[in-house]
Amino acid sequence: MISDALNRIWILSKKNVMLYINRGPVLIFGLMFPFFMTLSWVIGRDISINHVFIGIVSMTSFFTATAISPVVLPIETREKSLERILVSPISLNEILLGIVIASTLYSLVITSIITIIFFLMFSIVFISLTTIFLMFFGICLMSILGSLLGVLVAANPTDRTSDVMLIINLIKFPLLFISGIFIPLQNLPSNLLFLSFFSPITFLADLLRFCVDGSNFFMYQVDIIMLTMWIVVLFILGYFLHKKTMPKRLAETKKMKKK
Amino acid sequence: MTFQNNNTKEISQELELGKRPIAIKVSNLVKRFDDLIAVNDVSFKIFEGEIVGILGPNGAGKTTTIRLLTGIFKLEDKANIEIFNEDITKNLSKYKINFGIVPEVSNAFSDFTVWQNLRFSGGIYGFPKEKVEKRSKKLLEQFGLIDKMHSKTKALSKGLKQRLNFCLALLHEPSILILDEPTSGLDPISVKLMRNRILQLKKEGKTILITTHDMLEAQTICDRILIMNRGKIIADEDPNTLRERFKSTSTIRFKIDGVLSNNQKNTLMDIFDNIKEEDNYYVFSSDDDIKDIFMLYNFSKENNLNISDFKVKETSLEEVFIHLIKKDSISKGGLEK
Repeated sequence: MISDALNRIWILSKKNVMLYINRGPVLIFGLMFPFFMTLSWVIGRDISINHVFIGIVSMTSFFTATAISPVVLPIETREKSLERILVSPISLNEILLGIVIASTLYSLVITSIITIIFFLMFSIVFISLTTIFLMFFGICLMSILGSLLGVLVAANPTDRTSDVMLIINLIKFPLLFISGIFIPLQNLPSNLLFLSFFSPITFLADLLRFCVDGSNFFMYQVDIIMLTMWIVVLFILGYFLHKKTMPKRLAETKKMKKK
Repeated sequence: MTFQNNNTKEISQELELGKRPIAIKVSNLVKRFDDLIAVNDVSFKIFEGEIVGILGPNGAGKTTTIRLLTGIFKLEDKANIEIFNEDITKNLSKYKINFGIVPEVSNAFSDFTVWQNLRFSGGIYGFPKEKVEKRSKKLLEQFGLIDKMHSKTKALSKGLKQRLNFCLALLHEPSILILDEPTSGLDPISVKLMRNRILQLKKEGKTILITTHDMLEAQTICDRILIMNRGKIIADEDPNTLRERFKSTSTIRFKIDGVLSNNQKNTLMDIFDNIKEEDNYYVFSSDDDIKDIFMLYNFSKENNLNISDFKVKETSLEEVFIHLIKKDSISKGGLEK
């Protein structure tokens, strides 16, 4: 039974990667946005290479993870393929996990490529071999977290990707600006420092700082615990919101069909 | 007028269908969209191997009934659905494999090829790759899609997309097929192919529930018809019984070779008081067509006349449908625009 469920989740994930990796919103918000954001941040400023590395990896991981997951359900609602999935023996959990895995894999691949390129070009030095694994673990956590955030926002029962992308961008940018990527946490005023605790990117950036130059603000264990807590909260919230809004999503589809 | 609680009819249905098991038993289906009751306490049974058609005007609740049946919409407390005498409300996903669903509008993944769509569906139902490939090829050949297997679904015409929907619905060999207006908007060749395939599937023992607006389709392929209006079933009969039940007058039209004398014309008008001449044809309405045909035969024999091109137009299912919908709508406070 479990192996059947895992097989279905894997098939759904493969489908999501194959169908949505080259969609407009995924390319724009997943690749182009972090690239130009980084350029505008770095050019003309005297920023250490370690700081740039931390910023690029954090942004890439977060932006790519939140690229696929919000668009799957609106597109499949519009194209009615969600109904095809729902009439087959697939549970809501499996559908959501299929989206999360696809989104996570996409984020991991892109972030890994960026990390390796940066690592080779600028000879980033890690404080120990273990911290390389810790960095990869942190990126994995952020990829899952970002995917879950996208899934949560996609609980809005709409068939328009623009609706969902608008909401996720409204959430993503404030989270990014208060995260301590652009200004290290040590240099933040106390009120902004307090706000930064509400951004998950804060904890990834802090973990990466520990890995690269040991200038972390929290203990790395705290960073991992906080990222994990975000994952648990987003997963639970996403599941219950989707369970609540799925009938409305399908009812709305029926109304739209009638129009 | 509701028929679903008519015990006599249920007993006669069961007698007629012999000892066939009940494939689908639906009780007390209700679905509300805010203030609108789209499906209002609907109950029906479908026997194994039957083709049952759901007819109804737009917004009657046909598609919503199907969505409730297939688990897309959640059932309300009182509602119950049994598939081959097992309650599906307890484990819907287990029973979903019994259904093959053909929607009105294609819901295959438009950016996948025909083959990728079939591979995806096969995988979801847990079939091994070899079985999926073998069965997919067989279905693609049956539905004339084998040369399109590597075409993107979005590049297919509506007719071809609908053929793909049939292939996807049949891939996991379901015992029950649910077809939501499967021939809507298709060209006559595709319609004929689909109807032949539906009849072939019945021969193979599939139970088929079909919603349609096409009266001819309902009349020719359905064993039984449920007419829905405003979320309720207002008739549940086989097409011939329905036509008999609501039969009003037939129109008899014929031609007489040669020219009738005035005397013969007068006699004819005495026998059939509403007879008219239209484009060399004689046409009259009959309340008792058998009796009138017999009288016409006697008239032609006595006058040594040859009658040709003889036609009796009976009450069509379309007329029955319109009659029932009007009657039901008027009884519930007027026709909707």
